[in-house]
Amino acid sequence: MTVFGASLRYEFHMQVRKRSVWIVPALILVLFVLIGGSLLRDLFDPRERAADPRTAVVALAVQIFGLLAIGFGGLLADRFVRDDRLRVAPILDATPASPGARLLGKYLGTGAATAIPIAVAYFGFATAYAVDAGAPAALGWALAAFAAVFVPGLLFVAAFALAVPMVMPAPLFRVLFVGYWLWGNVVSPDIMPTLARTLIHPLGGYPLAALFDFHGIDGQDTWAGPIPGATLNFLRPDPTPALAWLSIALLLILAAAALAGGQALRARRLR
Amino acid sequence: MRIEISGLTKKYRGGVAALDGLDLTVPTGMFGLLGANGAGKTTLMRILAGIVRPTSGAVAVGGHDIATGAGRTAVQRTLGYLPQDLGVYPDLTARQFLDYVALLKGMDDRTTRRRRVGELLEVVALTEHADRRLRGFSGGMRQRVGIAQALLADPQLLIVDEPTAGLDPEERIRFRTLLSQFAGRRTVLLSTHIVDDIGQTCREVAVLAKGRLIFRGTVEELTRHAQGRVWSVVTDGPAPTEGTVVSALPQDDGMRYRIVSPAAPSPEARPVEPGLEDGYLAVMAR
Repeated sequence: MTVFGASLRYEFHMQVRKRSVWIVPALILVLFVLIGGSLLRDLFDPRERAADPRTAVVALAVQIFGLLAIGFGGLLADRFVRDDRLRVAPILDATPASPGARLLGKYLGTGAATAIPIAVAYFGFATAYAVDAGAPAALGWALAAFAAVFVPGLLFVAAFALAVPMVMPAPLFRVLFVGYWLWGNVVSPDIMPTLARTLIHPLGGYPLAALFDFHGIDGQDTWAGPIPGATLNFLRPDPTPALAWLSIALLLILAAAALAGGQALRARRLR
Repeated sequence: MRIEISGLTKKYRGGVAALDGLDLTVPTGMFGLLGANGAGKTTLMRILAGIVRPTSGAVAVGGHDIATGAGRTAVQRTLGYLPQDLGVYPDLTARQFLDYVALLKGMDDRTTRRRRVGELLEVVALTEHADRRLRGFSGGMRQRVGIAQALLADPQLLIVDEPTAGLDPEERIRFRTLLSQFAGRRTVLLSTHIVDDIGQTCREVAVLAKGRLIFRGTVEELTRHAQGRVWSVVTDGPAPTEGTVVSALPQDDGMRYRIVSPAAPSPEARPVEPGLEDGYLAVMAR
């Protein structure tokens, strides 16, 4: 087994057994349903849900991802710095294993473990919808939405959640991350500058708009592209499939840059 | 595996010099490293383990220059390292933790790795706790896990920093013996505050102070440094103020003090044979 494989395996193993990895998303979902998650309930109401399965499961993806990414980022915030905090780092650093391969394994292992409850929730609801609506095609769309929206977005969030606590305490990162997520996803860009509807929007506005032709349940929403009067419109060209792939690539490039920055910072501190 | 260090300096941020132009050669076999807190022992060991980069100077381990990435990796392939402040992953079992470290050390063959992990769990008397999570381990048990991970890949160079801290006397003696048996044609660099551990295991020793080498020689030579400087004084009055008090033992007729001092600390003081601890104190007092 390679260093990457070993790190992936054991980091996954440690993270997936953390109770908070399961409790936090469960609590968020329960709270959401209790305080007004009508769209989750509407999914099973033939009068309220979207007419076609693609719109239904893509809308579900937006909701589940938008909600659970908050917990996802918070749960990963201590993973990179904890080797030093637990004082395991000197043992690992004294092995011939490449720090880069170790970090990559940690990133993907902890990220995958923390994403499992999200995937369970998403595919659970999608499957229930597919059965309830008699629309097996929904599962195919759910898989596609998971690959094009969840995966790049979660990789982006995970990279920053691992790297940023190198320069600030993990609890502070969690607070700032929640603030950023609400700012970036709830506040309209014409009210104050946000990354919403830009090419680097981790919620995946361009893939939603250009790959899934998604415009909200009622077909009235826009998820990508310019907004009159908003700043950062240079990052909001009119959505096309090519730009959707570019958006995914940009998220992955930024994730890689964040990880490399975190790694470089740690190496510098060791010196 | 021979270690050659010349002009080694390590300055941390703020200009604090943990090592200051250190020159030292460590031969094959057990080698002891003594010094007060802050003498630079841990920094030296972290540099040799490839964790910290030196500010200047040269270090060759088995002919590999650790200033280069390739050199560091080559050394780390043959290295076992037990850090002073050992940590473990509380959510792994002892067996899983050792398996993980073994994989990072390049022990790819599953059968060999499992056998080696099992053997070492046996050596450190943790077989019956092997599948318990490390969260519930005592300090001594964690230290034994640390010892096991250091020995995983049959290292040619073993660097152990305060390895017997947290071990009970029986475990300490067992580990000392294990280290001596392990050394053979390998190099074992043992840093400790417990001078007796050095006396029981090492032929040669170095003493550091303020990042510099102040003594290098055999254990006997270190002991001889205190020849004619160790005194025994029995008094029921205050402790002598001259020299360094090594021990104070209550007696029927007062307190018996063992003192290292260039001259007799009091008229009733009588000279006694020096031990290794006396030699260490004599060198430190120079």
